[in-house]
Amino acid sequence: MNSDLPDRDPARVTTDGPARVSADTAGAPLLTVRGVHRRFGTGATAVHALRDVSFDVAAGTMVALVGRSGSGKTTLLNIIGGLDRPDAGSVLVDGTDVTALDEDGLSLLRREKVSYVFQTFGLIPVLSAAENVGAPLRLARVAAQERERRVELLLELVGLADHAQQRPGEMSGGQQQRVAIARALAASPRLLIADEPTGQLDAETGLAVMALLRGVVESEGVTALVSTHDPVMIALADRVIRISDGRIEEQPAEHPGEQTPERSGERSYDRSDEQIHSGSGERSHDRSDEQTHEQSGERLRGGDIS
Amino acid sequence: MLKLLARRARAQWPLLAALLTVVLVGPTLLGACVLLVTRTADRALETAAARATTGEIEVTAYTVTVRGPDARSVAADTRTVLTSALAPFPSTTSTRVSSAMRWLPAARAGKNGVPAESYLSAVQDLPARARLTAGRWPQPTTDKTATGTAPGTGTATTGTGTTETGPTTGTTEQKAETTGTGTEADTTGRGREPGTESGTGTGTGSGTTGSGTTGSGGDGAAAAAGGGRSGGGPLEAVVLEPTARLLGLTPGSRVHLGAELSARSAPDVDVTVVGIVRPLPGSGWDRDPLAAAGYDLAYRDGRSQQPVHAYGPFIVDLADLLAGGSTIDRLEIIARPDLTTATVRDLDTVTGAVRGADRRLARTLGDRVQIERVFSRLPATLLAARAQQQVTAAVVLTVAVLGIVLTATALALAGRLTTGVRAEETALLSALGTSRGQLAAVATVEAGTLAVLATALAIPASSALHAGLTHLPPLAGAGLAARPEVTAAQVAAVAAGALALAAVLVIPAVRPAVAPGERRQRRELLARSGADLLLVAFAAAGWWQLYAQPAGSDTGADAVRVLAPALLLTAGAALALRLVLPALRGAERLARRARGLVLPLAVFDAARRPQAVAAGLLIGLACAASTFGTGFDATWQRSQQDQADLSVGTDLAITLDALPVAGQGAAVRAATGGTATPATDRGIAVGQWLGNGGEAPRLVAFDAAHAGTLLRGRLDADRDWTDVGAALAPPAPAVGVPVPAGAALTLTGRTSGGTPLTVTPRLLLQDATGLRTPCTGAPTRLDGRAHPLPACATAKGLRLVAVSLPFKADEAAQERTGISGTVTAPKNTGDDSGDRPTPPADTANESSDTSDAATEGDGSGDALDVPPSGGSGIGVAVTLTVAGAASAGSEPGSSWTATSAAPFPGALATPAVALSAGSAGTTLRMTTSVERRGHPDAARTLVATAFPVPGPVPAAVSARFAGETGARPGSRLSLTVGTTPVTVRVTEVLPTVPSAPGAATVLADLDALSRALVVNADLDFPVDAWWVGHPTHPDAAARATALRLGPVTTRAAEAARLTGGPLRAGLPAALRLLVPAAVLLLLAGVVLHVTFDVQVRALEVARLRGLGMTRREIRKVLLGQHVGVLLPLLAAGAAVGALATRLVAPLLVRSDTGAAPVPPVLPVWPWAAEIVLLALLLAGCAVAVTVVVTVQARRADAAHLRVTS
Repeated sequence: MNSDLPDRDPARVTTDGPARVSADTAGAPLLTVRGVHRRFGTGATAVHALRDVSFDVAAGTMVALVGRSGSGKTTLLNIIGGLDRPDAGSVLVDGTDVTALDEDGLSLLRREKVSYVFQTFGLIPVLSAAENVGAPLRLARVAAQERERRVELLLELVGLADHAQQRPGEMSGGQQQRVAIARALAASPRLLIADEPTGQLDAETGLAVMALLRGVVESEGVTALVSTHDPVMIALADRVIRISDGRIEEQPAEHPGEQTPERSGERSYDRSDEQIHSGSGERSHDRSDEQTHEQSGERLRGGDIS
Repeated sequence: MLKLLARRARAQWPLLAALLTVVLVGPTLLGACVLLVTRTADRALETAAARATTGEIEVTAYTVTVRGPDARSVAADTRTVLTSALAPFPSTTSTRVSSAMRWLPAARAGKNGVPAESYLSAVQDLPARARLTAGRWPQPTTDKTATGTAPGTGTATTGTGTTETGPTTGTTEQKAETTGTGTEADTTGRGREPGTESGTGTGTGSGTTGSGTTGSGGDGAAAAAGGGRSGGGPLEAVVLEPTARLLGLTPGSRVHLGAELSARSAPDVDVTVVGIVRPLPGSGWDRDPLAAAGYDLAYRDGRSQQPVHAYGPFIVDLADLLAGGSTIDRLEIIARPDLTTATVRDLDTVTGAVRGADRRLARTLGDRVQIERVFSRLPATLLAARAQQQVTAAVVLTVAVLGIVLTATALALAGRLTTGVRAEETALLSALGTSRGQLAAVATVEAGTLAVLATALAIPASSALHAGLTHLPPLAGAGLAARPEVTAAQVAAVAAGALALAAVLVIPAVRPAVAPGERRQRRELLARSGADLLLVAFAAAGWWQLYAQPAGSDTGADAVRVLAPALLLTAGAALALRLVLPALRGAERLARRARGLVLPLAVFDAARRPQAVAAGLLIGLACAASTFGTGFDATWQRSQQDQADLSVGTDLAITLDALPVAGQGAAVRAATGGTATPATDRGIAVGQWLGNGGEAPRLVAFDAAHAGTLLRGRLDADRDWTDVGAALAPPAPAVGVPVPAGAALTLTGRTSGGTPLTVTPRLLLQDATGLRTPCTGAPTRLDGRAHPLPACATAKGLRLVAVSLPFKADEAAQERTGISGTVTAPKNTGDDSGDRPTPPADTANESSDTSDAATEGDGSGDALDVPPSGGSGIGVAVTLTVAGAASAGSEPGSSWTATSAAPFPGALATPAVALSAGSAGTTLRMTTSVERRGHPDAARTLVATAFPVPGPVPAAVSARFAGETGARPGSRLSLTVGTTPVTVRVTEVLPTVPSAPGAATVLADLDALSRALVVNADLDFPVDAWWVGHPTHPDAAARATALRLGPVTTRAAEAARLTGGPLRAGLPAALRLLVPAAVLLLLAGVVLHVTFDVQVRALEVARLRGLGMTRREIRKVLLGQHVGVLLPLLAAGAAVGALATRLVAPLLVRSDTGAAPVPPVLPVWPWAAEIVLLALLLAGCAVAVTVVVTVQARRADAAHLRVTS
């Protein structure tokens, strides 16, 4: 066991934690995605990131979203989390139609029902671990005393009670991701979206994080949608949804499907370059990566500085 | 490498454009400042010269005692010297000539056997200087061929080049008949005159013949009046009204003037009076020997101890006088250059030439004149202008340096940000094997390109900025509007500035980049702290240099004065920046207590992110510079106002060209609509002390009862001028005896035992404005008869406030009667028992023969009761009757006091005065006993005053006076006013005295001073000016000028000159340039910083959205963060600006001459302007930050998450 891992079952420390799945809603879909289309660009250069994506996720389950880079995973997660809008289709989170919400409604959704765990942790660098975890509670205007208590419990949950006053720059990647998970749980979300949460971690640390996520799902009754290439994470998932070229190729969790490089235990470091040169069939990937490069170039050039 | 540069330029053109914009600011500001201190300064000098008053630029040559034959050549040569000295400027000349005194036949002027004298005079442009009241102007009697080329008759521009064709030797026999007396005087004069006549002139006038012989020397015999005048006949002349009245002259009168009273006596001359004139004030009559009074009954010609009667002048044609052979006592030629097209080089040339004109004139005139001198204020005026120019230039350069420092700070920030933006690119290049040297070369080439571009743009930009600035106040008001122009100095300065600033960009590019958020290395922090300390040390040294600079004149733009403000502001901003971070951390502790996320996150961001205050130095410095610029401008303006207030001393001052006449105050009051009072401002001696450094102590006296209304100038806190004046003014005004306008005044006097005594009565009359004018009667015998006094009551509302009766022995009567009343031959006609004296009827009757104006006494026996003689004294009773007046002392303060005046108060015993009213008017009866002992010439003067004998005159003294003399409140000092010693008692010490800034000055009440003089038998009222408080007419100055009493100065005009004059307008203009430049750079810095900051935090912002923050909340966080940084930085900058305004601005303000201003400069913090400025800065920052944050927050969407994830 990695030393970063909690030395006890996380579920035990979160008995008064986030909302749980009630008995009458257990098994009912918390997330419903229907006919979602997302296209970037127009005309001949248009890239179809998502094509008629539809699936349901039952409450209290952990679902792995699997696919190669550029397959549309992040786009799908952003649409579900309300960070992006589909061109067509609908997304229902806990009965709320995400696509019908305005900006404020989406923010409220993310504040109350959906939490994010980013690949790059997404911690606010000027805040300490405790302050990062407490940020959602501050957004929810939780009283200071209650906030501090919850933060303490959550940091204990992720095994970082002793690092409460450290800032992200002073912590390891695994610690940062655990803080990110604690922060994601702080607001008692119904849906936890994790976008390749172990993507920047070594295997051992990634395993610990995955175990933590799995534990949280089980103990807190949170529904987790995790985008990942990691076979361990896939193995931990209740269900795996494969996405390719913007389309869903679902497999039951009990039978995760054919072996993929990820499942064979190899870390996937698919580079966009490989995909760019993989032929016309990878058109959507190409476009997505080109966009990425363009944006990177813009930032590199500092074109917005003036 | 060049390809990399080109590609990067294409890709990052907005960034490069931003850098170029920032680089452009400094050189543009520098170029504009260089134009201000070069072209505008030169133009200011030229404009100042063109606007200079006549008195400031005219050149006057005085020559004294010119022999008649040399007069024309001396005049011509003098004019040539002057005009050549003023070359290349065209100039006009005017000439004023007065001849030596001549005897005036007794039959016309003699009274009481006193000799009479008169003189000839000629003035160019006479019709412009006098008003004809009767008759016509005099015509030249000299032949046209003689006068046509005569010097002095026309306006010369570059010299007259008169050619003397030869001296004329002539013999003139004049036979003139004086009108009214029947006395004939035959005079034969011989002379040889250098004239222009080429032949023999024969006079055709009545009884005058003249012949001239051409010669070549200047030593021929003068042809007297007709000798050089081929037209012959008496000279035509006009006389002044008083002369005409006293001599009984009317147009057509002929007057025979006797021989000259000079060593080389010219013969008699006849003149025909053709007109009567009244001199116009302000037209140079003050330089007339009798100051255009027309007569002086106590004129001292230096030939004897006794005064004589002087009348005149007889104003003749200028050419006639110069050619007439009369000895010229004074020849005055004034040349006035036309400087409207002046250039700096020509002005410098003229300055040197005029300085050497005195020597040149002496060489030219040789021994033809006794004394010659050239006087001009032109060199001093131009040198003073140069000094002002340099003082202004020093401050303009200070502003330029501040602008450069600001720009450099902005560029340092821009360079750092650019390095941050290019961090990935630099890392990539390094990874590809690019060395630091190559990176430095790339940065240098890029910076050099920017410098070249900035130079190319800054040259026209600075020209346009300068031209625009000159079309705005105050430069436009100073007449310095100019079109855009390019000069070599400007190009050099702009290029140097651009290169220096571009170098700032290279430094961060070659240093290892520090990633945002990375903790600074300890070494770097130590280096920064060391730099801060060094900066503070330099700033402290600079301030000390400024503080310790000499108070005297120093016009040079020394480096300390130019650099110190920038150093101080930079050090202050750096220190303030060090204080901002702890303050933010304090705010952070408070913010933790907040419940929500927006405020704490904003404060945490502001307090914890090192990059949050990356623009701190620029923001603090720019804010400090702009607030300092505003404060300095207000301080400078206030100081100029204070200097104007103090230098003028009152709202409006008229410096008198000539002695004022009674009733003048009413005219001044009517013209200005304010409170007009006479004032004194002159040099004096304090005991034996004549001042230090060639600067005499000054006496300023005014009507202290109106001190609050009249005096201007800053005084100590909690005091005003009313308080000062209250301690100086006499307890009660002098009421005196009303003297109706035109009232006849007669004087009747008797002595005990008929002792022949005369008295030359002097009356002191006061008008409603407090002006006192003496009126002197002719020496009058105390013969029991009523003698009319001269027309003293020349204006309405006069009051007699003092009478002075200097008693003298009547030598003429003694000779006739054998009765000696002098102290050398006492003849006591009374006795100690107090017998009533016998009226000296015989003597009176005899004297009446020669006094056709005297009439028999009015029989007022009481008035003529002579007090008994006592001891060796002669009882004297003198009655002064003011007809038509009815005052017998009923008015408050109208009691009279008699005293025996200093310096021999014992010379009179029991002086007394009584005031009574009767049908004939008001009578003032003065009695005393004249002691016979003592020197016969010792003064025996009875003074009767409408006020009690005053004690020491209360006076306030300036701090400098107190410092140099050791005077303290309570000290007694002896001032010499004119020739009369006056004791003053120091009441208080003032910082300085109005109208005499910085001088060792005594401030007194004019009434009190006059009283002290009067009891010393000095009835001269020391008046030099009119002071007017609170003039109500908007055009009061113009109206006052129209009175032609003398130069008019107003506080407002002086303040306008000091703040908006061509030589000074550059300073406020430069300050007003600094403020917008600082604001512009501040805003540019804020935009750059916020843009960079928000851009590098785009992912963080996107994650905040992922946390559930709305865009509004994110905007609030970002705005709060930047406002949290900006607010303390702006506050700190404002504090530094305020501190600099308080500590530095007063040290930068200098006077015209570069000396410390008087009064000392008070720092002014213009709250309203500063608040507006800060509000604008805040608003500008808020708008800039809001726009950038809004744009960036909108861009912070899922794309960023996709990119990073």
